[in-house]
Amino acid sequence: MLALDLFVNGLIFGLFYALMAVGLAMVFGVLKVVNFAHGEFYMVGAYTYVLCAMKLNVSPWVALAMAAFAGAALGWTVERLLMRPLYVGYASWSIMKDEYAVVVTFGLSLLLINLVDKVVGPYPYRGPALIETSRFAVGPVMLNGQKLIAAGISAALLVALALFIKRSLWGRQIQAVAQNRLGASLAGIDATRTTSLIFAISGLLAALAGALLAPLINPSPDVGAFPAIKSYVIVVLGGMGSLWGAMAAALILGVLESFFAVYVSYDYRDAFGLLILMLVLIFRPQGLLGEKGREV
Amino acid sequence: MNDARNLWSRRLRTDFRAALSIIAALAVVPLFVSSPYWLGILVVSIYFALLALGWNLLAGFTGQFSLAPAAFAMLGAYATALLDYHLKAPLAIGIPAGILATALLGWLLGRIVLRLKGPYLALTTLSFAEISRVVVGNSHEFTRGDQGLNVPTLMQSRVGYYYLFLAVLLGVLCALYLLMRARAGRFWLAIRDDETGAASRGIDVVRYKTLAFALSCAICGLAGSLYGTFSQLVSPELGLLLQTGLVISMVVIGGMGTLTGPVAGALIVYLSSELLRGVGNIQLIVFSLVVIVFARFFRTGLFGLATGRR
Amino acid sequence: MSLLRTEGLTKHFGGVAAVEDLALSMEEGEILGLIGPNGSGKTTALNMLSGFLAPDAGRAWLAGEEVTRMAPDALARRGLLRMFQMTRVFARISALDNLITAGLARGLTERETQKRADALLEELTLAPVACLDAGQLSGGQRKLLEFAMCFIAPPRVALLDEPFAAVHPVMRETMAAFIRRRNAEGHAFLVVSHDMPIVVELCPRTACMNAGRLIAAGATRDVLKDAAVIEAYLGSGSHA
Repeated sequence: MLALDLFVNGLIFGLFYALMAVGLAMVFGVLKVVNFAHGEFYMVGAYTYVLCAMKLNVSPWVALAMAAFAGAALGWTVERLLMRPLYVGYASWSIMKDEYAVVVTFGLSLLLINLVDKVVGPYPYRGPALIETSRFAVGPVMLNGQKLIAAGISAALLVALALFIKRSLWGRQIQAVAQNRLGASLAGIDATRTTSLIFAISGLLAALAGALLAPLINPSPDVGAFPAIKSYVIVVLGGMGSLWGAMAAALILGVLESFFAVYVSYDYRDAFGLLILMLVLIFRPQGLLGEKGREV
Repeated sequence: MNDARNLWSRRLRTDFRAALSIIAALAVVPLFVSSPYWLGILVVSIYFALLALGWNLLAGFTGQFSLAPAAFAMLGAYATALLDYHLKAPLAIGIPAGILATALLGWLLGRIVLRLKGPYLALTTLSFAEISRVVVGNSHEFTRGDQGLNVPTLMQSRVGYYYLFLAVLLGVLCALYLLMRARAGRFWLAIRDDETGAASRGIDVVRYKTLAFALSCAICGLAGSLYGTFSQLVSPELGLLLQTGLVISMVVIGGMGTLTGPVAGALIVYLSSELLRGVGNIQLIVFSLVVIVFARFFRTGLFGLATGRR
Repeated sequence: MSLLRTEGLTKHFGGVAAVEDLALSMEEGEILGLIGPNGSGKTTALNMLSGFLAPDAGRAWLAGEEVTRMAPDALARRGLLRMFQMTRVFARISALDNLITAGLARGLTERETQKRADALLEELTLAPVACLDAGQLSGGQRKLLEFAMCFIAPPRVALLDEPFAAVHPVMRETMAAFIRRRNAEGHAFLVVSHDMPIVVELCPRTACMNAGRLIAAGATRDVLKDAAVIEAYLGSGSHA
């Protein structure tokens, strides 16, 4: 049955979207700014995976781990070098906060894309799959080995993240800093270190998303652009900063897009997500689960 | 700087004079440069200077950080091109139509994003821009999609086009100067610095914000429309997010919230990018590094550094 | 006809009544104090009066004209000005330019505005910093600047939200003196404050709110002795 197949595939892509977007939701939850280079974490993860697997001849699983590490390192570095001014010192930064974040992360995005383009080349690379079986059927649904494993890993990671945030000490510090930076630091939490951690996690998850999808999508230097836009849609839809909201929104978007692409229009499927984004921002800016900002 | 030079009217005047001197310098360039290739490059940089001035009006002066300037250039260009393609309308109608269409759409966008701030505003304008681009690029019957449309040209002479663009730049600059000197300018700055405060002092924020949007988008539309006649081809690529990013970076490097900054930034960035092209195609890498460094360390841009402002 | 009047003003936030059935009345040229413990709804009431919050029910009139859901800028142009607890100035332009902008916003001509701005800066001892960006002024100077912006054109009534909070004594005297001078010229003030001595000193009449309702209104001395008022403060643990 087509609808079931679309639904399941939609959910699977939703899981990938969730992995990608959840990091962005965390960053937004803490810094209240959008990171326009988020798509490049994804791209770096994809390329690390592909290059390690192909050039260094390691097993795809090791390459996956290396991609995760690259993402985390990149996230941590970006925070350390570029994002710190947003909350350390300078009262005047509050005036330029949003402009700064957009410009700097846009510049970073451009830099990363062009560096990779120059160093590795503009042509798409093919990455090795984690598992060799390709198409097989589960009931009425057509699946693909890589997709299934990638979906499984994504789901596992999301659950692990949720547990980490809820249960671990670091996780609770993250929650504290996200809610009230000043209060958290007064309570003894190292807000700066926590923010670095958040960025590292954000990079790690996006990079893994890139690596897991590399065999399916054949990364090229600008491969991060669309996932990034989808992530914004998801983060806004789920309520900026809400992790649960982002996860739910990701699954919903995955399914909606899947049906839209077949029943309405394949070409416009990306614009569809953007339309949702606009409508949500206009009519319900707090998203499905976020809180409404206050005036005055 | 506690002296009268910091007063807005003085700052603006200095700013305007600096911008005029750049235009004066540009006016004599064709005496030394006759290569059509380089004149073309300069025309494109003036195109970007117009976009930069338009975007700066909205973001630098009014504090609305929109991600749609390139999209409006595209929309202006397409308005003119479509009128020619479907109705054989002469450019004398096509170009003003482009300006009017983008002014209206800009006003509409302004109304849509009235209550939005910061990242919400950026994301909504980004969506608007991308949706426009995708719709234009996919409407094959109406716009010929990615193939683009051919546009008639105003004149054959490249030097002529150069001076036309320069004249338009001068016109826009003067108009902006007059506006910024008057009530509108002060109100826009107030909205930028504190929207709530501005409202509580009696400034009609709704009216001025939508006005800024309309004007800014009209300037971008005008630039796009003219550029379409220059390159004789319009395509959805005019509205790529990359183009918006270029415009934003030019203003940041030149100096946000000034008249000279966007013009100088556009010229410097585009010309250097051309010069760098010969050195091995690293212009985007260098350029993005410069943007990051400026955003991080030189927030007032080159013009800010030149005038010693923080 | 009273200058500022409300009837049945009500605002609920998700089930909690922040302001319930408020009936306030101010006369031309008076200084009215508005007191009440934390959470009593004073700021919400102020936000509704100044157009920043739409009431759920009730009406308001300014000099006989109904202004119930009017936007803040429309109110300001009609002479209802408001000062904020967290000072709001235009940080990236000079103090003088702040005043000029405020004057133009109220409909004055450039020349008029310039003259009045100079006079106000002089009166509030801000002349030495007139050309500095407002963002570079000290907290106290910014407060004075905000004051000046309210008075660049004669307001009918100025709503002051905790104007003396976190202000040092010398500045407080400057501001109190300014209020008295302007009041002598016939301007009305609504002063929301926790600072009892100031309320006693400046406001002949006071209204007190508790839990969203008006519990007392009248001569300040009487209100402060009112049993309900004392209980409101003692009961919630605030100073009295």
